[in-house]
Amino acid sequence: MKDNIKSRELKPNDLRIGVYVCHCGKNIGGTVRCAEVAQYAEQLPGVTISKDSLYTCSEPGQEQIKADIKEHNLNRVVVASCTPRLHEPTFRAACESAGLNPYLLEMANIREHCSWVHLHDKDAATEKAKDLVAMAVGRAANLKPQLELTVPVTRKAMVIGGGVAGIQASLDMADAGYKVYLVERTGSIGGRMAQIDKTFPTMDCSICILAPKMSEVGRHPNIELMTLTDVKAVEGHIGNFKVTVEKKARYVKNECTACGECIEACPQLLPDEFNAGLSIRRAIHIPFPQAVPSTFMIDMDRCLNNHGIVACDRCFQACSKKCIDFADQNKTIEVDVGAIVVAIGVDVYDPTALTELGYGKFPNVITTLEFERLINAGGPSGGELIRPSDRKLPTKVAFLQCIGSRSKRSNHYCSNVCCMNTIKDALLIKEHWPETEIYVYYMDIRAFGKGFEDLFQRARREGVVFVHGIPGEIIEDINSGNLTLLGENTLLGAPYRSEMDMVILSVGIKPQKDASDLQRLLNLSTDTDGFFMEAHPKLRPVDTTTGGVFLAGAAEGPKDIKDSVTQASAAASRANILMSKGEVKIPAITSRIDPDKCIACGLCAKVCPYHAIEGSKEQGYYEVIQPACQGCGACVPECKLGAIDQTHFTDAQIVSQIDEALANNPGEKILAFACNWCSYAGADFAGVSRMQYPTNVRIIRTMCSARVSPKWIERAFLKGVGAVLVSGCHPADCHYNNANKQTAKRVERFWKRMEKIGVNKDRLRLAWVSAAEGSQFAKVITEMAAGIHNLTPNQIQSSIEKFNKSLTKKADA
Amino acid sequence: MKYALYLGCAIPIKYPGFEAATRLVCEKLGIELVDLPFSCCPPPTSMKMVHYDSWMALAARNLCLAEEQGLDIMTLCSGCVNTLKEANHILRTNETKKRKANKILEEHNHHYEGSIDVTHILDVLYEDTVVERLIKHKTRDVPLKMACHYGCHYFRPPQVMYRGELSAAESYVPVKMDHLLSIIGVEPMEYSRKFLCCGSPLGANMDSDAGYEITRQKLGYIKERQIEALSVICPSCFEQFDMGQIVLARKGKEKYKIPTFYLTQILGLALGLSPHEVGVDVHRIKSKKLLEGINIQ
Amino acid sequence: MTAKFWKRFPRKDLFECYQCARCTGSCPAMEVLPALGPRETILKCLNHGHDEVARDEKIWMCCTCNVCEDRCPQMIPITDLLIALRNAAARRGNVPDKLLMAIELVAKTGRSMIVHQLDEMRAHHGLDPLPPAPVDEIREILKKTGLDEVVEL
Repeated sequence: MKDNIKSRELKPNDLRIGVYVCHCGKNIGGTVRCAEVAQYAEQLPGVTISKDSLYTCSEPGQEQIKADIKEHNLNRVVVASCTPRLHEPTFRAACESAGLNPYLLEMANIREHCSWVHLHDKDAATEKAKDLVAMAVGRAANLKPQLELTVPVTRKAMVIGGGVAGIQASLDMADAGYKVYLVERTGSIGGRMAQIDKTFPTMDCSICILAPKMSEVGRHPNIELMTLTDVKAVEGHIGNFKVTVEKKARYVKNECTACGECIEACPQLLPDEFNAGLSIRRAIHIPFPQAVPSTFMIDMDRCLNNHGIVACDRCFQACSKKCIDFADQNKTIEVDVGAIVVAIGVDVYDPTALTELGYGKFPNVITTLEFERLINAGGPSGGELIRPSDRKLPTKVAFLQCIGSRSKRSNHYCSNVCCMNTIKDALLIKEHWPETEIYVYYMDIRAFGKGFEDLFQRARREGVVFVHGIPGEIIEDINSGNLTLLGENTLLGAPYRSEMDMVILSVGIKPQKDASDLQRLLNLSTDTDGFFMEAHPKLRPVDTTTGGVFLAGAAEGPKDIKDSVTQASAAASRANILMSKGEVKIPAITSRIDPDKCIACGLCAKVCPYHAIEGSKEQGYYEVIQPACQGCGACVPECKLGAIDQTHFTDAQIVSQIDEALANNPGEKILAFACNWCSYAGADFAGVSRMQYPTNVRIIRTMCSARVSPKWIERAFLKGVGAVLVSGCHPADCHYNNANKQTAKRVERFWKRMEKIGVNKDRLRLAWVSAAEGSQFAKVITEMAAGIHNLTPNQIQSSIEKFNKSLTKKADA
Repeated sequence: MKYALYLGCAIPIKYPGFEAATRLVCEKLGIELVDLPFSCCPPPTSMKMVHYDSWMALAARNLCLAEEQGLDIMTLCSGCVNTLKEANHILRTNETKKRKANKILEEHNHHYEGSIDVTHILDVLYEDTVVERLIKHKTRDVPLKMACHYGCHYFRPPQVMYRGELSAAESYVPVKMDHLLSIIGVEPMEYSRKFLCCGSPLGANMDSDAGYEITRQKLGYIKERQIEALSVICPSCFEQFDMGQIVLARKGKEKYKIPTFYLTQILGLALGLSPHEVGVDVHRIKSKKLLEGINIQ
Repeated sequence: MTAKFWKRFPRKDLFECYQCARCTGSCPAMEVLPALGPRETILKCLNHGHDEVARDEKIWMCCTCNVCEDRCPQMIPITDLLIALRNAAARRGNVPDKLLMAIELVAKTGRSMIVHQLDEMRAHHGLDPLPPAPVDEIREILKKTGLDEVVEL
């Protein structure tokens, strides 16, 4: 491969670029006149051939590129199609197999950033596509072949979260022969599934099918189970993570056999979380009988002996095996892993805020989770159906659907599991107490999965009444504790007032409250609902944008057990592939310092978020530690001497893009710099969602917004640009350890300069746009377009002059 | 503490007793009141429904009168506070509507700027300094089991009436009257459908029988908790409960005999005023016996 | 007319209605009268057009208590819709007589109430007579706002 590169080192006039404009069926071809774009590209400097094809990513499309590389001796390839975040690997592989270094490929995003967002303006979309292709060709001319660094992968994995998804992922990786650290923050694995009575649609006993898997985890030689443990810090990157976890004190030694002698001795009572607060437990307790590890624990917040406040040691006295250890302490542990599976699950919606339903005020209004515990043989009533106010068997029971779901007042999404869960619960009641009248108040019943419709039909046959129209209010009878539902049966068009013995609120699910902590530690993205975002919603559904981190279970979006298990196996399989390969290629996008130009001022080292730049005055220069550099490029703009450049995102490459973008009518254009992880992805998302925005924006991708050099912004204004946008991840969400602090600083400095020389600073905008905020991106562009609408050529000319003047002044100084 | 007193129509014309009680109570609690030549607010239940632009213009005129004096408005009625607070909010945030209103008002030498606030007397009484004075000047307790009825327009829509105090997701549940009454020894009682409408607008606009049917429901929920009296902050709600009980009895429905008071009337009793001074003697449902039972004569 | 109406109230807000009936379930007017109810109002506006709804006298069967909007999971500004509809209805002459009389009273006296022997009644409570409202100014204003579309001024 090295020889290959050498033989293809070129002089500028030896450029032989092949341009391929993809129709993507009607996706691009329906809006952009692709043949016209291809024809336009043909006359661009350095272009040898230019073609348009229906689907460039298809087998024939790729074969064409390969054949052309050989036949026409192409040394650069430009593909104008979808976002590089989707098919860059595809086309890079095609180039490589034809003997062309993969870094000599460049893509123009004429789908997400053009045809999909300008559906109704074919002329402008076509003109924009031409610009985008010209920018790509300009950049391609400056591309250099690169060699990727290969680093070994640590063949160990961490799973965060011990619910059914975490359990499945751990077992799949452990069975494949890899060491797994399973981190669970509560006292036992099992998660939500352990709390549920039966599963739908098969009506299996939930804990009966889960418990064997839990104990398998407990005894698996490859799994190290860490309960009462939180993830505190994550460093490193794909294949080589260093994770710091804090293991909280359990105060009970592992020798505990869960005999229970201590329970009776403990004087401290509190609500049992596992039973949704419907029963009480002691301060020393085991989360539930099937818990793994089968070891007691002390809730030190409630123990009398908390830091020796009261010298209560009754449990210690009661334990014949002497397992109680009040001296136990929290431990901080560091582990090295190559892959991480995130399976932190979900929380349950708390309906207290919906005051009209009386939850928390009327004892006989309960949630579905409380009902699961109530009807469970291991629950507080021993599986007897009773209502809380008087412990009597209810004869009329109502289920209310969509509580906390599909509502702008709570969570606007569908929680996915509540419809089937209610149907299952209704059938459970019918199974044991067939005389019970059951009413389900709903707005839509969603029985979409395998076997779901059968279960729904069964519930109807068994006499469960489905009423379309969710009650607006619940009234409690003060004497009987019965509940009257007020509502409208919309199918009958008639109001109802129905008296019930018990009301069960089918509550939705929502992301864990502290999911954002983990999101920051792992540099993940979340969607607008707060769930973790996949790398691609269809084709990479368990990968995240952070290499080596995978998603399993409901943390990625509301899911039932089957889907969680399926996804867990998929995530484990993705992690297994990574570990079995044993090595991973690091993209060649690191920064490099030219020691001859470097004067060892050390400014670059100060802004490096990874401390990857080392050197000293004595040494005379600084250098980038290649394996530590993550490729954000934050250091490059810091160097006033141009001694640093970022591989594959060089100043020359970006400047060529700027120049091409602003070659015609610059005053009408917005030049947008977008970071790869959030803002570029956000613009992609706007495209996927077909959000329409003005056509005059030209987007340039950098890895991090911190790479955006003030020199580029200056160049754009010298070229007479209408406005410039610098966009990156939200401040705390930066994928490069808050490198975007530098972005904000540099933009602010530039604003000051604009003010000083008398250019309207509104023409430079800084916007934080996350990968899920397509609408935000569209909004920003729309606002900016409105802002430059009234710019006169005179104003633009005068700002060019002002910038020129300030440059001359600088040079003189 | 100084306010432009917005009396509205129903209180000075139908229930001057409320006005008398309010003036006396405010004097004792150090709230200075200024009278201005206001017109009808006009009500959110009638004018707003029939002709929005007229509603907005008259409301804007009333706001201007107080603004010209540099005074915040204090209203005594849930309907008035709803109109004036909402109009104030809309005019402040909607430049077009503000321009439109000013165009009409300028010929009458008024100009709306949006510099004043509108509040209901309940919110004023609930302020810390006023509560402190209430505790200080209180001469007796009023140990009754009472139900509070707030009146829909006092707090809905909460996004307009209590902007800034809550996020969009929350339901707003008013509590200020319950808290205030508990200071003077009242036992505020919970009851079913506490925030149900009194029925007044339905009766006034369409069908009085239907309106009183809602009142009957509400009285039923109050009666089942053995509640002795009712406290309101709106003359329309008052009429619905006071007059309503007579009408329902006449129609052969249940006799409830639950005296209804306007909030400042009860506070006045706690501040040592007599039932005649606060004007409860003219109410249709008599409270003489009930008050004598707790030694208020 | 239609375009003007939807300018007053954004029609797209109605598309978000799930027809979940939480609004009608909370509606006190629907418990005592055959009222249209917010859910049906929205449905009919979308399917039959607002014009037909504005002709229906049942749209006046309402307490204006705003509970519907309070409970709506989609936060549809129901009150605004009902105001726009009823304003349109009033211009077409569809408005209850009682309500019309109340409006006329405001236009004529500047106040929405009138009683006999007011001064005596106020004196009983130790209050001064109520000064009259500035009727002329108010009528002028109401003329300019176009209230004569609905009542004679």
